[in-house]
Amino acid sequence: MGELERLRELSRENKSLKSVIEKSISIIQGCSSLEDTRDARIRILGRKGMITAVFEGISKMPEDERPAAGRAGNEFRTLVTALLEEKEKEIEASIHMESRELEGIDITLPGRCPPLGKKHILSKVIDDVVEIFISLGYSVETGPEVELDYYNFEALNTPAYHPARSLQDTFYVKRSDPEREEPDDILLRTHTSPVQIRVMESRKPPLYVISPGKAYRKDEIDATHTAMFFQVEGFAVDRGITMAQLKGTLEVFARKLFGSKRTVRLRPHFFPFTEPSAEVDVSCFACDGAGCSICKHSGWLEILGCGMIDPNVFSHVGYDPEEFSGFAFGMGIERIAMMKYGIEDMRYFYDDNIKFLSRF
Amino acid sequence: MKVSLEWLSEYLKLEVEPEELACMLDLSGTAVDRIIRIGTGLSGVVVGRVVEVQPHPNADSLSVAHVEDGSNVREVVCGAPNLVSGMRTAFALPGARLPAISTSELKRANIRGVASDGMLLSAAELGIGEDTSGIIELGQDVLVGADIHDVLPVEDVVLDLEITPNRPDCMSMIGIAREISALLNLEFNYPEIEIIEDESTYLDSVKVKVGAPGDCQRYTARLVSDVKISPSPSWMQRRLMAAGFRAINNVVDVTNYVLVELGQPLHAFDLERIEGKTIIVRHAERGEVIRTLDGEDRQLDEKSLVIADSSNPVAIAGIMGGENSEVTEQTKNVLIESACFEPTSIYLTSKRFGLRSESSSRFERGTDPIGTSRAARRAAQLISQISGGRIALGEIDIFPGKKESIFVELRPWRLNELLGVEISKTEITNILERLEFKISSGETLNVEVPSFRRDIEREIDLVEEVARIFGYNKIPSDLPKGGRYEAGLSKTGKIEREISNILIAQGLFECISPSFMQNLDLTRLRLPEGHALTKVVTLLNPLSETGECMRTSLMPGLLKIVRHNQNRGNKDLAIFETGRVFFSAEGNKLPIEMDCIGILLSGMASSQHWSVSQREFDFFDLKGIVENILHTLFIGNYSLKKVERPFLKSGRGSMLQVEGKDAGFLGELKSEVVEAYDIKGHVYVAEISTDCLIQAAGEPEHREIGRFPGVKVDISIIVDDGVECERVENIIRANGGELLESVSLFDLYKGTQIPDGMKSLAFSLEFRSFERTLSDEDVNERVDSIVSALERDVGAVLRKKDEGPSGSVRQN
Ligand SMILES: [Zn+2]
Repeated sequence: MGELERLRELSRENKSLKSVIEKSISIIQGCSSLEDTRDARIRILGRKGMITAVFEGISKMPEDERPAAGRAGNEFRTLVTALLEEKEKEIEASIHMESRELEGIDITLPGRCPPLGKKHILSKVIDDVVEIFISLGYSVETGPEVELDYYNFEALNTPAYHPARSLQDTFYVKRSDPEREEPDDILLRTHTSPVQIRVMESRKPPLYVISPGKAYRKDEIDATHTAMFFQVEGFAVDRGITMAQLKGTLEVFARKLFGSKRTVRLRPHFFPFTEPSAEVDVSCFACDGAGCSICKHSGWLEILGCGMIDPNVFSHVGYDPEEFSGFAFGMGIERIAMMKYGIEDMRYFYDDNIKFLSRF
Repeated sequence: MKVSLEWLSEYLKLEVEPEELACMLDLSGTAVDRIIRIGTGLSGVVVGRVVEVQPHPNADSLSVAHVEDGSNVREVVCGAPNLVSGMRTAFALPGARLPAISTSELKRANIRGVASDGMLLSAAELGIGEDTSGIIELGQDVLVGADIHDVLPVEDVVLDLEITPNRPDCMSMIGIAREISALLNLEFNYPEIEIIEDESTYLDSVKVKVGAPGDCQRYTARLVSDVKISPSPSWMQRRLMAAGFRAINNVVDVTNYVLVELGQPLHAFDLERIEGKTIIVRHAERGEVIRTLDGEDRQLDEKSLVIADSSNPVAIAGIMGGENSEVTEQTKNVLIESACFEPTSIYLTSKRFGLRSESSSRFERGTDPIGTSRAARRAAQLISQISGGRIALGEIDIFPGKKESIFVELRPWRLNELLGVEISKTEITNILERLEFKISSGETLNVEVPSFRRDIEREIDLVEEVARIFGYNKIPSDLPKGGRYEAGLSKTGKIEREISNILIAQGLFECISPSFMQNLDLTRLRLPEGHALTKVVTLLNPLSETGECMRTSLMPGLLKIVRHNQNRGNKDLAIFETGRVFFSAEGNKLPIEMDCIGILLSGMASSQHWSVSQREFDFFDLKGIVENILHTLFIGNYSLKKVERPFLKSGRGSMLQVEGKDAGFLGELKSEVVEAYDIKGHVYVAEISTDCLIQAAGEPEHREIGRFPGVKVDISIIVDDGVECERVENIIRANGGELLESVSLFDLYKGTQIPDGMKSLAFSLEFRSFERTLSDEDVNERVDSIVSALERDVGAVLRKKDEGPSGSVRQN
């Protein structure tokens, strides 16, 4: 028990000491300098102080009460002395502290850094891409990763024996009852494009949608292929959508992501679900198009595939291709991250080495 | 597809640099992978004639050849299996420069004890092809001792093209010539085909029957008799090598040559080996077997289209010939097959056998049914030219799949509307005509599609054709016009991002691991049969690296990340992953996909620092992180209950309930689980359903902070060790009344100061009224009722009570 509490107890036990004790406590607690404590000592414990008055009072008491009162008086003196000493120490400490604060410190000692977490580099790139399209008026949608063949291929104008299917080796899901239906109709989506169909089925144009997510392909795993990867799909369906608008949209995107000096070019390509289709290159940001090792001396870096949504796709979702037109594009996030940050091996993204993750 | 520019110049006059040509092709849809310059810097190579071959005295796999170089006979060590005396081949003399294999000049060498005075070269060593299986065999027409440059156009530029699956017509020299001609507005010529037919009777004796007309649109055949099989002439060999083929003999080489030239796959049969001189195109019967040219025995079934003679299959149609009818050195009479097979049938059969060939890759994309006859004539012409055979009169031509030409209407304004351009009707017409479309023009264009363009059926297909030849780079840039009001993240998306951010703000690293899992992971997690996490979605065709099913938990992925990091010296880990887990669903078509948050802590909670000592992560770090997520999402209605899980240490796991629903768990992993993943140390894991959090997420609500000072009271009680802290806290709250603003545990003590089996809990209580300054009586009354409730309900003994003004420094 501390001195203060004992003093309070003492004042409750001895009514005669109550006022003296309370006054002493308030004097001591009111001290803010060593001069104050010296004065307080004199006022309470000095020859003409309160303690003298206490003992004078005791000496006038009836004889049988004196021993107890004397003990209380002595305890009061001890406690007050201790309390004063404690107060003096406190004051000295604060004086010391003030003077220490005036001294210098070694500001080169390492700071105390609260632990810092990191967003995964791929999430960061996805957020950057998505943010750009949100600023262009797109809404964000997602879809299932395990998909029906219908959404992944058929509705995207890739019928069962279309040669385009041999371009992507697909992971299929084992059916618990393979006899019940076509055994190969559930798969891991090979791209994020099924979201196009799902959104178009459930809503009517105008649609301006961006959809980030995982996709899966049964590729040999190496520096540029992993069985799982991220794509961002985007599409716009409205009256009067043109290929020129697709081109302009991708230019805005490329400049926002890779810098204002970038130019893009579209190369004709083939995708079953767009026509006309194109692959899109951005002028190399490392060499400004002059040719360097990053762009394999071509001056261009391929960043995505795109095209005008094929009328056959519209017919699967019941849109009239004479009324609505649309464009769609899809990009591999790993590839963009690799180009942007000079990462040579895609597998780094999924090793999750903390030292790698903390670089970004 | 490898296109030799030397070969290509046969069909059009190229006056552009290869780089420029490559760029043009690239920008019109024919991607150029590489520009390969062959033969540059090659010197000191002559035509050598092998005079004699002897075994190497010290090495079984080597021979010693005597080779004539035009003036001398030199002794050369050679390991090629096709080395025979009499052959003419490429002979590099000492001092030769062979850039394909070395940067320095060729020196005389001593190979296993025999001096080699030069080197005989394969196509690869010569730098004109990829074949390394043997030395090049030149025709007998070449002069021994001649410089190789005078014999072969060694120097060439080859464009390695990537042809998209919709453009089989571009898988030929003619197809590429047509594209270039359209791009450059340049004339191009088909090869001139003139044949002199012989009054042979052989063709009459050949019968062809198409028994599967659905899978064989057209079957054309020609016969060349009395051929003399030998190596084909050097020019043809070189062109084939540049195209990536291996030279075989003057008949097989011609079939390959025409395949590359016209894009029409051909097959040459030795007619004398065709039983009954009868060709039947039919589906195989179950149990039939064919040994294909690659030496493999193939079990055929009813789905496989075959070419058969009167008793056996002699080829898998459109994919690969059989050994039983193969052209050999003894072959005299050659039957040339030039057919058009149904793409799907070829695609499926080729996939079933895992057998792809130059033929099948063209057939499965769709060849020109009209072109078979021309290709057969071309092959007959070349074979008779270089092997001295006689071409039988006429051709066999069965055409069950004959179709009318396709006409497509193109509306020029629609084209301009879709592309956002202004291309005149005249220009549209010009572009299409250069691609061999025939146009009759009215208000709209009526376009006749050439038979080799099987990809063109609709107006949009023509729009693309015009756009790509016009040039995508000439399309202007624009932006969509419409206004959009739905832009942005969905509520779900926003909350997911917020969860991620609060975890990162608490020092955790976001990780991403593949969505796969092994069945072994179920064992490692000690899951009993029937446990919810064992309802896996299994893959039909997994990769060995990925695991055979989809993950039902984020734990295996996180634990593998821990192992990967521990193995690299990163022992202190605070990581999380947000991602899907998958459960098979009975009855439903698609599995159930759930978004989850996995959190894992292991190692030290803070990094080393000069001013503080380190401590290890424990359960309460994890619990605090989880509670911070809940607080950030304004979820008040949650509880944590003790729970047992097969993978969690007994008595050290907790279930998170949000709004009464099971939302996940947190706890310390069993050491058996940790060991199963080859991990060291204690591992704390939480896995929480994102959906549960999203459903429960609330909005911040403003509550008055209060102008009047609060009163802080510390109480410390002694209770039985078995009494849970939460229970005590609930009693305090229940009895503190409205004035009790907050309760927090600031000390837990077990030890010598208090009896065994007991613990001391010290709480800091803060009371506040919104109407007035509280008096001592107000507070004491509440505290007294709290204390007596604690005494009554959990047998608590009050150890100490401290009062102080709100906000004062607590004395310990
Ligand atoms: Zn560059």
